[in-house]
Amino acid sequence: MRRTTFVGLVPLLLLLVTGEATAHAFLDHAEPRVGNKVDAAPREVTLWFTQKLEPAFSTITVTNAAGQRVDTGKTRVNGNQMAISLRAGGAGTYHVTWRVLSVDTHTSDGNFTFQVGP
Amino acid sequence: MSTRVLHVGLSGLAIMLVSPGEGAGHEIVGNRFFPATLGIDDPGVNDELSIPTVAAFKTGDDPSFKQRDISGEFSKRITEAFAVSFGVTHSHLSAPGGLTGMGADGFQNLETTFKYRLFKDPVHEFVMSVGLSVEWGRTGAQSVGAEQVHTYEPTFYFGKGFGDLPDTLSWIRPVAVTGQIGYAIPGRRSTNTFGVDPDSGDPTVDTELHPRVLNWGGTVQYSMPYLKSAVIDLGLPDFVNRFIPLVEATLQTPVSNTFTSGTVTTGTINPGFLWIGNGFQIGVEALIPINRQSGTNVGVIGQLHFYLDDLDPRGLGRPIFGSAVPPATPFARN
Repeated sequence: MRRTTFVGLVPLLLLLVTGEATAHAFLDHAEPRVGNKVDAAPREVTLWFTQKLEPAFSTITVTNAAGQRVDTGKTRVNGNQMAISLRAGGAGTYHVTWRVLSVDTHTSDGNFTFQVGP
Repeated sequence: MSTRVLHVGLSGLAIMLVSPGEGAGHEIVGNRFFPATLGIDDPGVNDELSIPTVAAFKTGDDPSFKQRDISGEFSKRITEAFAVSFGVTHSHLSAPGGLTGMGADGFQNLETTFKYRLFKDPVHEFVMSVGLSVEWGRTGAQSVGAEQVHTYEPTFYFGKGFGDLPDTLSWIRPVAVTGQIGYAIPGRRSTNTFGVDPDSGDPTVDTELHPRVLNWGGTVQYSMPYLKSAVIDLGLPDFVNRFIPLVEATLQTPVSNTFTSGTVTTGTINPGFLWIGNGFQIGVEALIPINRQSGTNVGVIGQLHFYLDDLDPRGLGRPIFGSAVPPATPFARN
């Protein structure tokens, strides 16, 4: 039993040790940072994920406090990074909603806010 | 012919009741990642391997004795929403445990769980599943308390994240609760064991009653990964952002056929933490008995848990039938 268990564990341990393991793409960090306040409205929102992304089905939308979209609609994906440009906006709370397809075929999504103001 | 009620059977029941169950699985629902928990099962369905889960505690028997369990569980999705898991536990009972009072070693009964995810609501971070667990009688060692009858346990599981709270309560958004309630039904109401009284030579029959037991429990979790990715990035070290402190409760209440078992609820409260790695997680919890019948000391449980769907997404970590990924419809909710 113990030998069987060990043999079964070897591939898993190899996957971890060699860094070959992949996983769901989770949001690692963002700019502007999640839940933080910036002085002026940013020109773009950039998200970094824990895995590389498939550009075709990875998207971001950004809305202002009134629920109006303030992004330009075109998400750029590069490796594990995704960004979208914003139109000029004012102070207030901005909502970022993202959905990604990682290269290992897992989908994940999420949302957060950041504030603009003095 | 005299009839005696076997207290050995009750001792076995006590071991079964006090032994921590195995948690398994992790489920992603919108922003929420429901990790595998050690005391109760998580509310979702996934491809998982928990090995090993190690627990050490003192039982609620009188006299109490030390017990060490080493267990493993493998869960495999058949379809995206339906999985089957197999669990095995090896127990070491120190003296005065076991049938002879000299301690014992052996495997508990094999367990199989069939689980189906009924509903998932990403917006409200809510998920619920139903399952049927079967403990296969006579597959384990009687000396460590393994029952000689099959036990069937229909179970309901749920999980709810608080990510839908308003901005004014944003610090509570990383909180999630999960729970399960199951009704364990032994295949027989009682077992008779025939023998001969050594003093009188008269034939005897020992009757062991098998009570029906409500197994229930829950968790309260605070997810640091959730805090960082969905509420506020405090700039904490990555090591800290991977912790999920939690408190679990695993409780058992005999509710039927309880003439010899009584109806006292036993169980433990388990404060501890999970640490989420890339493709695996580590969990450690204390086992605090809720009363004398549940144990005499604080125990401990630890687990190494692998997310097979992350480690091998195109092989072992995908459902046998159907797609692991629902059709990608960008911004389906917008």
